[in-house]
Parts: sequence; C-alpha cells; structure tokens
Amino acid sequence: MGKQHEEFEGLALPLLDPLYNYARWLCGDADESRDLVQETFAKALKGFSSFQPGTNFRAWMFRILRNTFLTSRVGLERRNTEQEGEDGLDNTPAAHDSPEMLLIRRADTELVQRGLKELDLRFREVLILADLEEMKYQEIADTLGIPIGTVMSRLARARRQLRDSIVQALQGGNRKLVAKR
Amino acid sequence: MSCDWQEKIALFADDELDALARDQAANHLAGCPECTATVAEHLALKQAVRLGANRYSAPPELHASIYRQLHPSTAVSRWWKWGLSGALALLLAVLGLVLWSQRRTDPLLAQLVDQHVIALAAVNPYDVISEDRHTVKPWFQGKLPFTFNLPEVAGTPYKLLGGKLIYAGSTPGAQVVYQAGQHKISVFMLQDTGRSIASPRSSFTVKNWKEGSVRFYLVTDANEAEAGKLATMLQEANRS
Repeated sequence: MGKQHEEFEGLALPLLDPLYNYARWLCGDADESRDLVQETFAKALKGFSSFQPGTNFRAWMFRILRNTFLTSRVGLERRNTEQEGEDGLDNTPAAHDSPEMLLIRRADTELVQRGLKELDLRFREVLILADLEEMKYQEIADTLGIPIGTVMSRLARARRQLRDSIVQALQGGNRKLVAKR
Repeated sequence: MSCDWQEKIALFADDELDALARDQAANHLAGCPECTATVAEHLALKQAVRLGANRYSAPPELHASIYRQLHPSTAVSRWWKWGLSGALALLLAVLGLVLWSQRRTDPLLAQLVDQHVIALAAVNPYDVISEDRHTVKPWFQGKLPFTFNLPEVAGTPYKLLGGKLIYAGSTPGAQVVYQAGQHKISVFMLQDTGRSIASPRSSFTVKNWKEGSVRFYLVTDANEAEAGKLATMLQEANRS
C-alpha cells in the first residue's frame, strides 16, 4: 500500500459515519446512502492527489458526496422538484415570545425529524452540517461551494421554517385533526 | 427590529464571532432582554436539531466494504488464495479417502466379519449346537422372515458346528458355522436389500451372493478354495 493510500485511509475512515449520516439526510434511503458513501470513497481515493494539503479534508469529502448525490438520478429528481428563489428571504423577525420557545423545547424527536424532512434539500443540509456535524460557516461554504453569506441566509431560513413547523404542529395539531375530518 | 445586534445573534449562537465580538455581544445581551430571548430560541432550536435529528451510523457491512475497497490486495491475498486452495485439495483428498475406504469395507460386511471373530472367541458361540443340518435349520423357523437350506456335508471336509441368531444392519439373520480343518467358516443369511456389495480386500475371505430373497455372506480365515467350495454347496442346496 502506497504512502498516499495510507494517508487517505487515515483521513477518510474517521469520516465514514458522518458521511453516511449526511447521505441519509440528503437522500433518505439506507441502500442508496450506502452506495453513495462507497462511490464517494472510490472517487475520493482516485482523486486524492488533487486534494490540496492544508485545506479542509472533511469539506472536500462532503463536497464529493454531495456532488455525487446531486448528479445521481435521485438527486436530479429532488433538485427539479424544489422551487428556486434563494433571495426572496423571509425577513419577518423571529418571534421571541417565550411560549414558542417553550414549544420548541417540547418538540420531540419525531416532530423535529418530520420538520427536517419537510425542508427543501438546500435548507435541510445546511442545518445538518451546522448543527449535527457542527461545521463552521466557512466549512459549510467550502462543502457546498457557495459564499458564506448564502450559508448564513440559508441557515436563517432553514431555522425559521423548522421553528414554524414545530410551533404549528404543537399549537395547531388539534385544530388540523378536526379540520381533516 | 429595533436592535442592531439582532443580525449578529445567529453568529453569536453559532459561535462564529471572534473573541472580541463575542465579548461585546455578551455585554450587550446582559442588558437586552429582546436579544437574549432570540439567542435562547436560537440555541433551543439548535439543540432540538442536535437531539432530534437522527444521527445515522454507517452499518457494519458498509464499514467492511469500504475497508475492502481500500485494501483490494489484502482482502484476498495471494497467501490466502494459496492456503485456501491447499486446504481445499487436502479436504478433497481426505473426503476421497473416506469414500474409498467406505467402499472397501461396507459397514454391514464389517459388522459380519466382527460377528465371525466374536464367534471364534466366544465361550458359547452358538444358540443351537448340532452337527445335523436337520436340527440347525428348523431351530431358525419363526425367528427369521425368510427361509434357507443347508447342504449335506457328510463326506466333505466340512463339519457343521451350530447356528446363532444375529442382528446385522438392524435386521435379524442367521449365522451358521462350519469347521474346515483348523478353520471356521461363518455363513450369514440376511434378507436381501437389493444392494450388491463389493467383496472387500481384507485378511478374511468374504463372499456374498443372493439366492431368492436371501443374501448369503461367507466369512472365514480359511483359504479361497475351501470357502468357494462350501459356497457352491450352499448355492446348490438353496437352488433346488
């Protein structure tokens, strides 16, 4: 095994779980996520010589996985069904009254997961990268290949949508049930 | 939004401010309930995602296949291949030997040879002791699901010693023993199972043949000629 190969393994293997987690949140399917991670490793190993030492390896790996996903059949379908319109940011101020915050604190796992899955892919992924993978804005920007400002605006919008979905579910849950009948 | 700080609240909550800005923000928060509430909500939401979002772990088989992907040569190394094929060859050889030796000694024949040896050594080797075939043969009546005839041995080198009921291959059978000079010859009669048995190579002379529904086995340490002659006599006695 070459030195470069060894170096790649040392860097990449610890990222296996985070990459798989990201894949699951991108495409939702377990089998597809597995294929995605395998393909990512294959591509990354092949292209490791093009990786610039000193730059962020995690962002590099995540970027490969994301590009692989986006160019896959499922990724293309997912992208086409989502509406465009990055800039029309909803600038209504975040409500800060304590009852809503209490609701967020009460949100259970199922509610949060449902809220996340309802988000557009580009909003869901920034939340996953920022809050679950605890990436810095710059790292997210490197991973997604977008400016830091866009990372921030997407994050803000993602959080607002998630918050609204949780609050609505907890406040209006009963009303909705009645209305459905 | 009245407060200028609101825009930096997300940066503060995401720990994206440098040390100086962070201190300034903390100072501001101490005196601004509005911003404090926003930070609290922001942090609550971050925590909800962290706790609520499932963190998926790669399944073990993915770990394994990635490892194989990274070690294509070591996964099935040359040594392994050689070792494996060697072990396989050995296994085949052992299997062949076992099958061959099974062919050599049919379990039923082995059992009958043992029975013959037991009769040679036993204190009471016979259930019925008689030199008269008209005593020995009737003794088996009602004990066996078949019948047989014994040849007249008067005027031959053979002497009838007796008979014994045996069990071989889970069926009852007859053992009739003759003396030929210094040797004893056991003749076993069992119901034929339709299976022809190759006569094995062993220190005993073993013959087997079928007459009607009965398979005869002859086991002796006497020589081939003596055994063959008695076998012929038995065959003739049972054909008529």
